[in-house]
Amino acid sequence: MTGYLIKRILQAIPVLLGVAFITLVLFDVAGGDPCLIKLGKNPSEVEVQMCHDELGLDLSLPEQYLRFLGQIVTFDFGESWSHDTPVREIFARGLVPTLSLSVPAFLIGSFIAVVLALLVSFYRASLLDRVVTAGAIAGISVSSLIYILVGQWLLADQWKLFPVWGYEYGFGAVTFVALPILIWVALSVGTDVRYFRTVALEEIGQDYVRTARAKGISENAVLFKHVLKNCSVPIITRMTIIVPFLITGSFLMEIFFGIPGLGSTLYTAVTNSDLPVVKALTMLGATLYVIFNIIADVLYATLDPRIRLQ
Amino acid sequence: MTQAHAPIKPRSPAREAWRRFKRDRVAVVCLALFSFYALTAGSAQVIELFQEGTKLYDMTLAEQGIDVAETATAPSSVHWQAWWGTTSAGKSVLLRVFHGTKVAFVVGLCGAGLSVLIGMTLGLLAGFFGRKVDLAVQYLYQTVASIPYLLLLLALAFVVRQGPVAAAYNEFSVGGLYLSEYLSLGLFNIIVVIGLTSWVTLCRLVRAETMKVRELDYVQAARSLGMGELRIMFRHVLPNVFHLVIINFSLRFVTAIKSEVILTFLGVGVDKEPSWGQMIADAKNELMRGIWWPLLASGVALFGLTLAVNYVGDALRDALDPRLKN
Repeated sequence: MTGYLIKRILQAIPVLLGVAFITLVLFDVAGGDPCLIKLGKNPSEVEVQMCHDELGLDLSLPEQYLRFLGQIVTFDFGESWSHDTPVREIFARGLVPTLSLSVPAFLIGSFIAVVLALLVSFYRASLLDRVVTAGAIAGISVSSLIYILVGQWLLADQWKLFPVWGYEYGFGAVTFVALPILIWVALSVGTDVRYFRTVALEEIGQDYVRTARAKGISENAVLFKHVLKNCSVPIITRMTIIVPFLITGSFLMEIFFGIPGLGSTLYTAVTNSDLPVVKALTMLGATLYVIFNIIADVLYATLDPRIRLQ
Repeated sequence: MTQAHAPIKPRSPAREAWRRFKRDRVAVVCLALFSFYALTAGSAQVIELFQEGTKLYDMTLAEQGIDVAETATAPSSVHWQAWWGTTSAGKSVLLRVFHGTKVAFVVGLCGAGLSVLIGMTLGLLAGFFGRKVDLAVQYLYQTVASIPYLLLLLALAFVVRQGPVAAAYNEFSVGGLYLSEYLSLGLFNIIVVIGLTSWVTLCRLVRAETMKVRELDYVQAARSLGMGELRIMFRHVLPNVFHLVIINFSLRFVTAIKSEVILTFLGVGVDKEPSWGQMIADAKNELMRGIWWPLLASGVALFGLTLAVNYVGDALRDALDPRLKN
């Protein structure tokens, strides 16, 4: 196990180096001169030169790359161009609002999806199964923007059940995140049910289920003791892989409901061409993705003894 | 008396798949719905090519001398252009949704096409040649997959728009026909971005399947007959992994169209012509003023197409995947 972990971590390093390279090339080279973006319209030549020196743009590409790697390792991406605050501080501020929205949404959504998926795969080909699978496919066919637009308009603007916009730190957050959570759950349940249903159906088709039934074990025990236990492996690994996306947040939801989290930070950064923030978020997202993928693989092997890591 | 048996005609795999596909009635209905959309998109494209001057969808109804208010009007039977109402700028919702079908198809077909082409080629190369090629491809897709999808989408959209890529787009021409005359920058942008970001899943699948197929007897037989590697790869291996490509194409088609909506909403998408994404994005302000018909029309149009393709995709998977036979 330790050997495997070391191997995976070593493998992850070149991947992250590659991500850093793509990020650098995308924003600093292919995107045109970032100084013209930073300084706005008609900067003087002296200003441009100063900015070039500051960002090291006149250095060769390998030198720029090393400089960027240095920023990543120390997590010091300098100051945001639009706020004059260090990028690190912006992140720290955005984390709580994002998590207060994404974690409950993710937990509630996954719970509903797992229960529904188990139920429908248990009553396979029944009316319930058909209604839920049809509902799921209809649900994923609606644009996420429509869920948000209609949800906000109907529930907040027309019926006044929730506030339309805003956020409050502390316990007051509950009223503000309730509607976004509701919409997030509606949005994600369709995809999750379809995935978990496939997982559960595959399990139910296995020999051990037939054996358990043949032994005369009650259907409930078959479903919740045997099937659920075996389904838990793919369910847990899938949930682990999703964790990084909880931290980067749903930026659509955050923009629409004015939640000052990392998602809306990213959005404003992109629209204002605030490159330090965008680059830092890209690296953060990629690193988390890589880490949680390793965790998922390790979990997979620990939970399922049939899988050997090499 | 014995009767000579007629030789049994082997059924082609495509026919066999169609037979299985046909059993699902809903899938057939969805395929018909999809064909209807395709026809609509085709006619919108033809009309666009032959219509000169200001496009009808860009003219307000009042400009055309139709007796309708300058601003948004609810659906009415005054004139066929007003059947689905007018937008807040006074233009026909019906015509804009109609033209949006064409945009959706261009984005869906080209975006999914590019994505599938990249994924298939890389997956095939990695699985077939193995060793260093495989390592390189694996590294490439691991790296791309590590960058959060929406961030990559936005970052690329941002870069394609203003960097040297846009310049290349402006100058690209084949035999005097400029690409920029047929495909607006916004559309080009979306297609490139979607193609470059969404090929990883298919690449993984094709790679794994190719590795299996490569070891089968008939491939060895082809090799012993002295066939070239490339010929074996394209003529003998590719047809046996192609079902993955078809299924994935339908999935990518839907993702592409849905991404158009989000990218356009974020201001990096379609801008020169009406699209469903644009109408949905405009609805943000319109809804609060009680103008619901543009959202309803574009939303339902988008929903119908997505649902049809999603369902057909599921049925295709059942019909084509050899593991699910019987």
